[in-house]
Amino acid sequence: MRWLSPLDPRRRHQDVRTDRFDSVGSWFLESSEFREWRSGEGGADKAVLFCYGNPGVGKTFLRQVTGPREEAGAITDGWQY
Amino acid sequence: MGGNISSLVIDSLCDEPSEEDIAVAALYCDFRDHQEQTTANIIGAILKQLVARDEVLGHMQTAFQKSKRELGGRGLRLPDMVRMLKRAIATLPHVFMCIDALDECLPKNLLELLESLKDILQEWPRTRIFVTGRPHVEAEIVRYFTTGVIVPISPSTHEITGYLERKLEMDTMRDAMSDTLRADILKIIPERIPEM
Repeated sequence: MRWLSPLDPRRRHQDVRTDRFDSVGSWFLESSEFREWRSGEGGADKAVLFCYGNPGVGKTFLRQVTGPREEAGAITDGWQY
Repeated sequence: MGGNISSLVIDSLCDEPSEEDIAVAALYCDFRDHQEQTTANIIGAILKQLVARDEVLGHMQTAFQKSKRELGGRGLRLPDMVRMLKRAIATLPHVFMCIDALDECLPKNLLELLESLKDILQEWPRTRIFVTGRPHVEAEIVRYFTTGVIVPISPSTHEITGYLERKLEMDTMRDAMSDTLRADILKIIPERIPEM
């Protein structure tokens, strides 16, 4: 199906998962944010889940930072932090 | 972004047994591949993962051949791709899209991509979209989607140390490593990363 797109995300996915450090990041799959997104419970208001972090080796690891950002949640209407 | 979190999410969606029938499409943006990663190709790549299992394909191929004839071989443009993607989504029970490292898109492509995703979501609000990126793309995402959930990600010292220890164990040039250097690596890097 190259006529649709020359990109091959499935192959890239295989490369990424081969290099993955499996023991980190599982907390994210257990987080209420992910579970709610996955189950669709939040409806259309929670259709988009955005994870952000800075570049560097830290990107390979995942740990949720809670605290100040949660309080900042009210700044943007409609978005939950 | 290394893709770690995105690949975890994709595997979890694909591997975990689910009561409902779901379709998953993934895309890893890559700054090294700007030439091929046009917005039309990104949407096309999402589309081909979704239609791989679907009869819509025949219709699309006809549309593609028609557009090639009419446009002198230029192939499908972004609006055509978005229209076809919406048509594919309509045939599927539940669609999940995961797009890694939005910040690695060219700025113009990022805006086109977000516009396209917004358009798709407006028509098919049940679609779930997972995106990752550096902090600066947050402003663009919030601008395009009026609602959503944001999760900041950062490493814990414990996770960094564990990762470094494993990398050091896999070092192929061990002779170059001394106990002092090893101790310095394990001490200094975890301290610095939160500042990066």
